[in-house]
Amino acid sequence: MALRFEELIERHHDEIFAYVWRLLGVARRADGAVDAEDLVQDVFLRAYENFLALRPGSNHRAWLYKIATNRTFTALTRAKHRRKKAYALRQELAPTALAPDHEHGGQHVVHCLEALPVKQKASITLRYLQDLDYPEIARILDCSEESARANVSQAIRRLRVLLKEER
Amino acid sequence: MRPPRSSDETTLIRRLQAALSAPRRAALAQSKTRVKNWFTQEAPVIHWSEMRSPLGPLFVATSARGLCAVDFGRNENDFIARLDPRARLVKETHELLQVTLQLKEYFAGQRTQFDLPLDLSALTPFQKQVLETACRIAPGQVWSYLQVARKMGRPKSSRPVGQALAHNPVPIVIPCHRVIAADGSLGGYSGGAGLSAKRWLLRLEGARL
Repeated sequence: MALRFEELIERHHDEIFAYVWRLLGVARRADGAVDAEDLVQDVFLRAYENFLALRPGSNHRAWLYKIATNRTFTALTRAKHRRKKAYALRQELAPTALAPDHEHGGQHVVHCLEALPVKQKASITLRYLQDLDYPEIARILDCSEESARANVSQAIRRLRVLLKEER
Repeated sequence: MRPPRSSDETTLIRRLQAALSAPRRAALAQSKTRVKNWFTQEAPVIHWSEMRSPLGPLFVATSARGLCAVDFGRNENDFIARLDPRARLVKETHELLQVTLQLKEYFAGQRTQFDLPLDLSALTPFQKQVLETACRIAPGQVWSYLQVARKMGRPKSSRPVGQALAHNPVPIVIPCHRVIAADGSLGGYSGGAGLSAKRWLLRLEGARL
């Protein structure tokens, strides 16, 4: 039976919220903060607008993740520009303003995650925080399974280097 | 075989998982309520209902514009699968009283025409034109697919006419059963119960077969 939009919200809202929340990372608290709730609303709005174009038998979950990935990275890029403008105005050279709890302990790794390229950040989040398998990650990121694996490995390598540098 | 993950790597992943474990339950619930409220306000509502008929369980659905679906000879899930997947479905008999009343009168032989607003917005202009033409066939009469095509001024379109009739979302109310093949055979019928239902409807209306 074809999935109805109402069921899509019921089944996938929570994991999509968690995914967006994780991708936003420090941007949830930095200057020009991006609100996870606003973004999730935007994801479902986009999904609603395109729902009829979805072919029967499509993977709704992967499709929703794809929209969430695109919308979140667009929002992050905009937030970055806003931060840059704000810094230029204040003529400050300080790095991203982080909330205090991000500057200590385990939150340090979240800060390093921000430095990863988009696909690597999405891949490692999907694999180890959303617990998705590689075929699904490949569908979401429009790449091969090998490429999804490579992105995760590269993300881990890069994170290790960043963490050592900042130690 | 992929090499096993090093302890260094495992530690890093654990750190990441601990730092971004999960959003607060309250935040999740608040966001879900917001998305659901938006959906309730924005999505079109389709009221639907089920009634008994001589052709078995009969399902009807209406949008804000009018009657948008009639089906029989299928189960509830198959009927719901045909409705706009973006709409919010409400099972309610009250909104559909006029529809079910007129259908009961039709089955009892007390009504031959329906007086109901219809929602054919999902159809193409050609499909609408075909169905409007089918509405001109009087009860007890039958036209061939070719006759319908000719009445539309498109004498070479009898096959597309057949296809458009097969997509009639409101059978019985729009009498696509009154269109048969040029050789006098029944042709096709998209209603769930197939040709036996088409024959039954035509006999009810007194058509000579």
